[in-house]
This record gives sequence, structure tokens and C-alpha cells, in this order.
Amino acid sequence: MRQGFRQSMAWLHAWSGLVVGWVLFCVFVTGTASYYRTEISQWMRPELAETASDPARSADLAAAYLQRAMPDATGWYIELPKPEKPLIGVMWWKSLEGPFHQALLDPATGTPTKARDTRGGDFLYRFHFELGMPPLWGRWIVGTCALVMLVALVSGIVTHRRIFADFFTFRRRRSQRGWLDAHNVFGVLALPFHLMITYTGLVTLAPMYMPWGVVSAYKGDEMRFYVDSGLMPELRAPSGKPGTLAPLSGMVAQGIAARGEAPEGVSVFNPADATPSVLAVFEEPHGLAHEHPQIAFDGATGAMLGSNGATRAAAKTSTVMLGLHEGHFAGAALRVLFFLCGVMGAATVATGLVLWAVARAPQGAEAEGFGLRLVRTLNVGTIVGLPAGIAAYFLANRLLPLDLAARADWEVGTFFGAWALVAVAGALRPAESVWREGLGLVGGLFLAVPVVGALTTGLHPLAGETRFLGFDAAMIALGILLGLAARKAGQARLRPALRADAGITGGEALRA
Amino acid sequence: MTAIVVGLNLALCFAGLSALALSLDRHHRDAFLVRPGAARARTLRIAGWSGIGLSFVAAVALEGWNFGPVQWIGALTGAALLVVAFLSYRPGWLRPAALLALPIALVALPLALNG
Repeated sequence: MRQGFRQSMAWLHAWSGLVVGWVLFCVFVTGTASYYRTEISQWMRPELAETASDPARSADLAAAYLQRAMPDATGWYIELPKPEKPLIGVMWWKSLEGPFHQALLDPATGTPTKARDTRGGDFLYRFHFELGMPPLWGRWIVGTCALVMLVALVSGIVTHRRIFADFFTFRRRRSQRGWLDAHNVFGVLALPFHLMITYTGLVTLAPMYMPWGVVSAYKGDEMRFYVDSGLMPELRAPSGKPGTLAPLSGMVAQGIAARGEAPEGVSVFNPADATPSVLAVFEEPHGLAHEHPQIAFDGATGAMLGSNGATRAAAKTSTVMLGLHEGHFAGAALRVLFFLCGVMGAATVATGLVLWAVARAPQGAEAEGFGLRLVRTLNVGTIVGLPAGIAAYFLANRLLPLDLAARADWEVGTFFGAWALVAVAGALRPAESVWREGLGLVGGLFLAVPVVGALTTGLHPLAGETRFLGFDAAMIALGILLGLAARKAGQARLRPALRADAGITGGEALRA
Repeated sequence: MTAIVVGLNLALCFAGLSALALSLDRHHRDAFLVRPGAARARTLRIAGWSGIGLSFVAAVALEGWNFGPVQWIGALTGAALLVVAFLSYRPGWLRPAALLALPIALVALPLALNG
């Protein structure tokens, strides 16, 4: 132990937070945006107005498309249209190892949609836990960082000497003290959220990180685990002989009759086999738990096979944690609070990263070391770069030509390109002005989003279009906030004798 | 309606947390330029914890044990952020704002009960 328990915890907090901080910032920002995944997708497909479609007919159209697309596929997933997403999403694969193919169909015709090609809010959602990498790699990295985040949270609580006395304290006029106070306020006020979201996030992917229990208990038949725990009904094994699939519309209609609502999706297992299984998946009932009721059908005859049983304590605990993480149960007001908590999480990480660098800034004429320079560069590259990428992603959605080949990939390319550009530019700019310039630029980009959106689509409140008011307001609010942050960074630069004003050294900042 | 219950929770938590903040020497000085006397600090502390407790009771009574606590914690965080914002930028406004939150809570309560 160095010096004592609290000091060693301070050391642990500073270094554990630093090594995963950049990834965590990305996870917090994109995860927070994912609370509004549907709204983002709606904005990014402005051609689609909210309309209701016939779920049974949509299922048949999807099946016809899928049979043409890959006659020997071993699995399909059909996402039925909803008023807020009037598209049929289809996904198909030959092997569970991948590749997975997908398409979006127009529910009126069953042919690929004419709406612009984009990944919408789904890109940010998947980036939240896959970081735009191959899925398994991304999930392992995010999981590892979440584990270290738990370490940083607990060691942070131990390090923070006066949680209650300093609960509301934010001395914004004092440079280093101000950063520390901001870090503490964002961290402590939303602490229940930070602990909940980190822990439940880990639990969500726990079966992937720790599969051994299920693997050794079920020995190669892991599907049975999901059936036994009530998460899935029993399905039939493929026969190996070819067969034909009964119309899905009949099964969807039976599902509607049984549950009083249309399923949100239909899974088909072995559609070209003589014993295919069909699974109708329903929206989760109102509750904390993320549990989709499901009904299984014999795909050859269309007869109902059964539904998933009730989950017991252990499985229920896990579905409630997943439900808490996703927050689907939250209405508009509570969702705003969740969003705010997510922003505070991102702000905790960002202020922590900045504080690490501020507390180690060289005194007087001392030269800056390589490590500190690296941290500062990565700080700017992440904290300014990622939001710049997101704003550029939205702008690309409106500015790229509609008939561009692989348009959705270009949008994603713009996201990474803008991010990289800002990060490199940030590394080249002098330390005194980089935050002001960077934050100002990103604020400007966000303010440009509603303007460009209105100019390119002609859909704006003055033209009587109110669908995107919420999205536009959020962009303007983000732009203004970032602009204020840029101004603040500019003022800090002008104030002389920062360190004398701060009145504490780096070591004291970590212990305080 | 959930939105009204969230509003009720926010108002009660904000009033309660403001009282707790003002019971602390530093923030009482920010707002009133003097330190609170021992009796005043105690009254503020009792008022503060009562507001937070009341908000919890309201959340659980109106939303049940499933959603109530989740919603209450969300409101607590939102209200605390608001208190910090007042203390940093307009400390003098904290007391009037907290007093204003009480009638808002009183209006929201019957609406939440009917909704």
C-alpha cells in the first residue's frame, strides 16, 4: 500500500479511469443518444410519414422476398412495420457464424424501400456496445472497460472524502478546483444511475463473457437453457429433408387472436426444411423487465406449438436488469431524466480525463512530457472528435446524394472521417486555444443540422411540418451548450496565473 | 399520468434538496451572506429530509414499487442538478425557487391522483 488506503484508492481511481476513459466517453455518449434511437431513425428517413400497415400481409411479403433472396437460408428475422417505422426489416443468414444479410422493405409492395439508404439511430445504438468493430471484439472491449468503470466508481467513492459536505459544491470560478468539483457533482448526483447502468450493462452481456456455466450444464444444447429458464418456447429440430413453409400471415393472425396485439417480429428457423419453426415475438408488456412474450408455431402446418413459460427469480433478475438498462418502460418525462443522467455520465468521464491532465500540467518553464501530451491529444480527439463525428453523420444524411451507391456506408464513413479529421487537427493546434476552437466548431456543426435539414428537405415548422421539432430543438440545445463551453474555455485561457488561482497541486486535487 | 408524477417528484425533491443545501454553512453563506444558526440549520435539515421522504412516498404510492423508486431516483438526480445550477449561478434565487416548488407540488398532487 502506498501511504494509506485512501491514497492508494485515489491512485487506482486516477489510473483506472484514464485507461478506459476514452472508450467510456464514447459508450456513454452513443448510449445516451440511443434513448432516442427511434426518433433519430425517424429524422434520418424523412420520406416516411407515420402510417399503419397490415402485419399479416407484411409477413407474407417479407417471406416472398426472403425466399427469392436466399432459397437455402437457415434463418430469417422479420421485423414487422410500426407506425413510427413503417418499414419491414428483414434479416437472413445461412450460418449463425454469419454473414448476416439485411434489407428494408416497403410494406405496400414488399420491395426494397425507396426511403434514403441509412443506418439511422441503429448505427449509434450498435456503436454503443460494439464501437463499430467486429461485434465480438467490440463487445469484449466495451465489457472490459465497463468492468474497469465499476472499479473506478467504487474507488472514486472511497477517494471522495466529503460526499455529503460537498454534495452541492461547484466552485466554477476556480480552474482546477472547478474541474474537480464538476467531476464530483456529475459523478455523485447521478451516482445511482452510473452504478446501475454500468452494472446492468455488464449483466446484459454476461452470458457472452461467462458462458461456462450454461455450456457445462447443457453440453452442446445451450438452446435448452433458454427454454428451461422461460425465455423462449421449445422449437423443433430440422429434419434435413426439404419442405415448404406455410403462409406466415395465418400464424401472425393466430398470434394476434391469442394476445390481442400484433407481434413486433417473426423469427423463422430452417425455412426450407420439412420441419421449420416460426416464432412470433411480441412487444414487452409494461413493466421493468425486458421479457418478450413469444409463441412458437409449426412452420409446415401453421399449428401453434406453445409459448414461453414464466421466468423464475434468477432469469427474472436478469431480464429486469436488461429492462432497467434499456429504459424502454420510461415515458417521455422519465426518458428526459434518463437522458440527462447519461449526459452527466459522459460529463463525469470527460471532466475526469481533463482533470487528469490539468492536475499534471508542468509548473512554470518545465517542459511537457510525452505522456501528458498524448493524454491531452487523446482527450481533445475523443471529447471534441466524437460529437463532431455525430454531427457530421447527421449532416451527411441530408447532404449526400440520394442515389449514391452504398449510401449508408458513406454516412458511417463521414462519421469516422470527421472524427479523425478533428482529432488530427486538434493534435496540431496549440494547447491554449484547441478547446475553444474545437468546441466552437462542434457547436456550429450541431446548429447547422436543423438548418441543413430544413433547406434540403423543405420539412420545417414554417412549412407546417412539426414531426422533427423535438430533434431540431435537441440539436439547437446541444449547439448552444457546446458554444457556451467554447466561450468558457476561451475565458479560462485569458485568466492569468491559473495555478496560483487554483491554489492546490495535482496531488492535493486527487486527495481532495 | 406519469409525467405529472415525475413533475410532482421533481418539485418535492427540489424543495427538499434546496433546504438540505441551505442547511450547510457554505451554501447558506452563498445565499444569505451569513452562517445559519444551529436551530435554523436543524429546521432546514428536517424540512429537507421530509421533502425527499415525501417524494419517495408519493412515487411509490402513485407508481407502485416497480416504477416508483426508479422514477424517484431519476427525479432526485434532476432536482439536485438544478440546485447546483442555482447555487453556482444565482444562489440568491434558491430559496424563492424552492418555495415556489411547494405550491407546484400541491397543484400536481390532485392532478396525479385523478390522472
